[in-house]
Amino acid sequence: MTIEEKLDLISETLDAERSNIKPETQLCTLDEWDSMGVISTIAMLDRKFKKVLSAEQIEKLDTVQDILDRMEE
Amino acid sequence: MSPETLHRNIKNTYYRSAAKKYYTKKGQYKMLISYYFPPTILTNEELEKEYASPSWTASKIYRKTGIKSRHIAKDELASDIAVEAGKKLFAEYGISPSQIDFLLLCTQSPDYYLPTTACIVQDRLAIPTSAGAFDYNLGCSGYIYGLATAKGLLSAGIAKNVLLITAETYTKHIHPLDRSTRTVFGDGASATLLREEDIAKIGQFALVTDGKGAQNLIVPTGAMANPRTEETAKESEDANGNIRSMDNIYMNGPEIYAFTLRGVPELIEKTLAKNNTTMEKLDYIILHQANKLVLDSLREKLEIPEEKYCVDVENIGNTVSSTIPIALKRSMERGIPQLKKGSKILIAGFGVGYSLGATVITL
Repeated sequence: MTIEEKLDLISETLDAERSNIKPETQLCTLDEWDSMGVISTIAMLDRKFKKVLSAEQIEKLDTVQDILDRMEE
Repeated sequence: MSPETLHRNIKNTYYRSAAKKYYTKKGQYKMLISYYFPPTILTNEELEKEYASPSWTASKIYRKTGIKSRHIAKDELASDIAVEAGKKLFAEYGISPSQIDFLLLCTQSPDYYLPTTACIVQDRLAIPTSAGAFDYNLGCSGYIYGLATAKGLLSAGIAKNVLLITAETYTKHIHPLDRSTRTVFGDGASATLLREEDIAKIGQFALVTDGKGAQNLIVPTGAMANPRTEETAKESEDANGNIRSMDNIYMNGPEIYAFTLRGVPELIEKTLAKNNTTMEKLDYIILHQANKLVLDSLREKLEIPEEKYCVDVENIGNTVSSTIPIALKRSMERGIPQLKKGSKILIAGFGVGYSLGATVITL
C-alpha cells in the first residue's frame, strides 16, 4: 500500500476530509479524532494490519504519521 | 392420597401442561426467556440535535455503531423493569411464581445500596418467601455468571427452579452530553427460567477476571470510596468534547475496545476446548451485543460465517447484562434454521470489571 493509499484509508476511517489528512497533521486538531474516531482507527489497524494497540500505544498516537507508522503490512 | 403424592401429581400435571409450550409446532425446543424494554425511545435524530456536532450525525452514528434507537428507563427503576420481565415470562410460558425457589438478579443500577433489589422483586412478583434471592453486581458478563451460578444451585440440589433476571438502567448513570456512552447504551431487562432438566443443557464455563481494567469503565463516586458532594457533581469537558461529572459513568471506549479484541478470542478458544468442540461444530454464536463495530471486528477475527452470527443492536443498543438473553430470544422468535432442538450455541459476555465469561448451551 502506498503512502497516498494509506492516507486515503485514514481519511475514510475517520470520515474526515482527505485534504485535512497529512502526515504532519496533529490528530487533536481534527474534529473527527474523538472516541468514535479512535475506535474506528483501532478497528482499521486490527482488520487490515492485524495490529491490536495497547492502551499506552493508543495514548501515544499524536500525529497522522504515528498512525502511518502502525500501518506496516 | 398423601399430601406429598397430591403435590407431586399437581406438579407433574403442571409440568406436562407447561411442557407443551416449551416446544413449537416444528419441535423446536425453547429456552424459557422473556424480555422487557421501557417504552421511551431515543433516536439518533434526537441525539444529533442534542449533540450539535458536525461529526456526530444520525447516519454516521448508525453506520459506526449499527444502532438507530435505544430504550430509556425514564421513571422506571431496575426493580420495575425486572418485575415487568418476570411477569412477561410467567405469562408467556404459563409459569406460576410459586414454582420459583431461587431468584438471581444482575444489576449495576440497583434501587438502593440496601436492601438487595432481589428482595423487592421477590415480593412484587409474589415469589414464595421460602425462595432464596440476591443481587449480584456485574455488567456485560452478567448473564453468563448468572447461568454458572444457576447451574451450581440446581446441580447441588439447593434449588429446582431458578429465575435469573438481568435488569440494567445504565442511562441513569450517563450524562446526556457524554457521546461516548449515551450513543451506545440502552436500558432493558430479561428473565430466564432454569429448571433441573436444564442442567445438562448448560455446558462448561470459561471465566476470566482482570481488575486491572477497573478504572476504564466506572462510576467513580456514590459509594464509599468517593461519596457524592457538590464538587463531584461539577461537570467538565474531556479532550473529545464529552461532558460528564464524577457522578456519571466514564468509559474509556478505545481501551475497552482494544481489550475486547485482545481478550475475547482467547476466551472463545478456552470455551471451545472446555466443551470439546470447534467453531465449525457450533450452530450459532451470540456474543455480547456491544455495538456493530465491536461485533464485526470480532466476527472477522474469529472467522465466523455471517449466517451463524448474531448481530441485533439496531433498535436496542447495548443493554449490558441483558444483550445475550434478548438476542437469543429474538433469534428464536425469528425462527432461524440455526436454532432447533439440539442446536449448540456459544454465548460470551465481556466488559466492565474487566469480567468475561462464556459457555456453550444446547437447545
